[in-house]
Amino acid sequence: MIARFLLAVGLAILMVISGTTSYVYLSSRQSRAVAAPQKPTDPTPRAQQFTLPGTIYLAQSGALYSFSAGRFHQLTGEAGWTQPALFPDGSQLLAVKRSALFSDVYVLTRFGNVTSQLTNNQAPARSRWDTGANAWSFYPRLSPDQRTLYMSYDGPKAAGNGYFNVVMEVWGIPLGGQIRQGRSWTTANDYTGGDMQPLPLPGGGLIYTKYSYDSNANRVGQLWYTNRAGSAGKALTSTGANCAQPALSPDGHNLAMICNYGKQVSYLTIASWNGSSLGPLQTVISDQLVAQPIWAPDGSGIAYLAPGGPAAPFQLWWLPKARYAPPPPPVPSPTPGGPHNGPAPTPSPTAAPTPPLVKPIQLTTNLGFDATSSLAWSG
Amino acid sequence: MPFGFKPGHRARASRRRLSPFRTLTIALLAVALSAAAGGFAYFIPAAVTAFNATAQVVKIPSPSPGGLFFSPSPSPSEAPQSQGAFTVLLLGSDDDSKFFADHVLTQSMILVRVVPATKEVTMLSIPRDLYAHLSTGGFGKIDGAYSYGGAGAAIATVQQDFNVHIDDYIWVGLLGLIKVIDAIGGIDVVTTNPVLDDYYPADVYGGDPYGYQRVAVLAGPQHLDGLHAMEYVRSRHGDLQSDFGRSKRQQQVLTAIRQKAKQLSPEDIPSLAAAIGGELKTSIGLDRVARLVPLAASFDNPDSIRTIVLVPPYTHGGGPGGSVTPNWSLILPLVHQYFP
Repeated sequence: MIARFLLAVGLAILMVISGTTSYVYLSSRQSRAVAAPQKPTDPTPRAQQFTLPGTIYLAQSGALYSFSAGRFHQLTGEAGWTQPALFPDGSQLLAVKRSALFSDVYVLTRFGNVTSQLTNNQAPARSRWDTGANAWSFYPRLSPDQRTLYMSYDGPKAAGNGYFNVVMEVWGIPLGGQIRQGRSWTTANDYTGGDMQPLPLPGGGLIYTKYSYDSNANRVGQLWYTNRAGSAGKALTSTGANCAQPALSPDGHNLAMICNYGKQVSYLTIASWNGSSLGPLQTVISDQLVAQPIWAPDGSGIAYLAPGGPAAPFQLWWLPKARYAPPPPPVPSPTPGGPHNGPAPTPSPTAAPTPPLVKPIQLTTNLGFDATSSLAWSG
Repeated sequence: MPFGFKPGHRARASRRRLSPFRTLTIALLAVALSAAAGGFAYFIPAAVTAFNATAQVVKIPSPSPGGLFFSPSPSPSEAPQSQGAFTVLLLGSDDDSKFFADHVLTQSMILVRVVPATKEVTMLSIPRDLYAHLSTGGFGKIDGAYSYGGAGAAIATVQQDFNVHIDDYIWVGLLGLIKVIDAIGGIDVVTTNPVLDDYYPADVYGGDPYGYQRVAVLAGPQHLDGLHAMEYVRSRHGDLQSDFGRSKRQQQVLTAIRQKAKQLSPEDIPSLAAAIGGELKTSIGLDRVARLVPLAASFDNPDSIRTIVLVPPYTHGGGPGGSVTPNWSLILPLVHQYFP
């Protein structure tokens, strides 16, 4: 009898343990699809051991990070930081610090220390119902001579309560100057969101993304070019291509961008650039949701953000140059043995070898970069 | 012979003493049963939520008395359910402290028709400000139907005005959508343009149901959490198309949620159930939900989902009280085509 009693007690204990374990185990389980992104500086998973030249600056969860030699370094706290951009001489960073009602542009060292605040967009509420006196500044860039700050800016707004047409225009202000010293370079279309992502060009002028309505009343993005403040400018891409996020190659002869052709896709697209117009659009990647392309400073490829899996957060990817600029086919060498006097040999009908498709390389996993934040890359 | 020992005792004792094999079998069985019980206990809250949220009984009121209105369409008829097709009315509401419980406006009304055999999905967004005959009587903005008579009134209104047969409804509260998107780990969306709004309601986390806040959802591909997805689909002031533009964004986010839902696994169910607790109601029974999940997963191509927004000339502004006036002569043939 004692043996049976002991057995029963043992079984009861075993059942409690296994039942509790089962419950606790299931509670701790979570599919990868819903797992929160890790911090880039977490020891695992490490970025792939793939060394890119220079240092890439990017944003996640309101913090800026640098990525060099396969390692991430956190530059700022998680305090609304986004959209880093390098000074043209590579000495410092511009970045946006975003709050609930406004955002401002700051200068930071390459190690993330704030050295100055370039805009002051905070404004007192005009009433309980009207916080519209605040302003947003996004996508800051410096002119090549480092004397003018360009950014998307939605102020100043003279209109008061009930003014719904909030649009961004590209503004240029002297670096270190006040907003009243600046002026709008573009004229935004009403109720579209406006003009974003200015890209100052070496020879003066700007490329930027302009949002407008197409003939079917869908809102679309287009790359535009303007060579001076206030000029009408011209469209570089069609409304049908729906392109945005321009990035100029280091040699200044090519432009990378994303285009979605009105669908829930985002193709990595490149085109040649001659200083005033674009060549034909060439889709380079069409099977990923590509965001924020940026050229390597040495021209060896393009980095970009894209989900690490279906409907997943955005990771850092790298596309070697061979994918979009395959090496030219080899020039046939002369037939050895000197001049041939007989009848010309018939060329064999073999097809030219197809170059192997170069696949993009996923550099990070389980992270969650801010895909609305442009990347910056120093050499 | 020992004292007290009787013939036959040894045999009975040996029967009572379990063999090691039987002991092991019983132990394994007990462990398996208790582990299953632990797992069952883990899923109980989800099951309770599911039971509470699903199979809601809907009382569809009969059409309001004749003579009060001229209905632009005949009374709804039982549409032939070709190839197992069914129509669901999706309702989305502000359910913050501005409103009494379950007397809320439906900011979003989307008719969804699913044809499993051909894997066709059609989503038709009904403008919230559409000036329509309400099943509860009289005319008004169609978003008021739910507030006057709950889901039944909303269904009856859409059925009688659009001449469609609605099989089921799903209602989601504002916070529910935020929580659901967070519970599934966010969604990937290509936002069409910067959505900027200086007068976005501060009723979710702003602490003032009548206050406003600024929002800026930037354009392009991105991974949205619940709050920012809500800002994207709810803002309408910065949109020339106002509610129509918002309807397009709502359809976009619904498609993204469906895409993400395909990545989930059973272990995510409890957190999902906790997220939707009290924020989701549907007339669809649990058994049908179980059948619909694999069906939803089989729809692979988001571009195959047909989306319809009743922009002009199907509607035009300037109706009473800021409402949108329907052009029934255009709307009804369109609805008949896609919601036969």
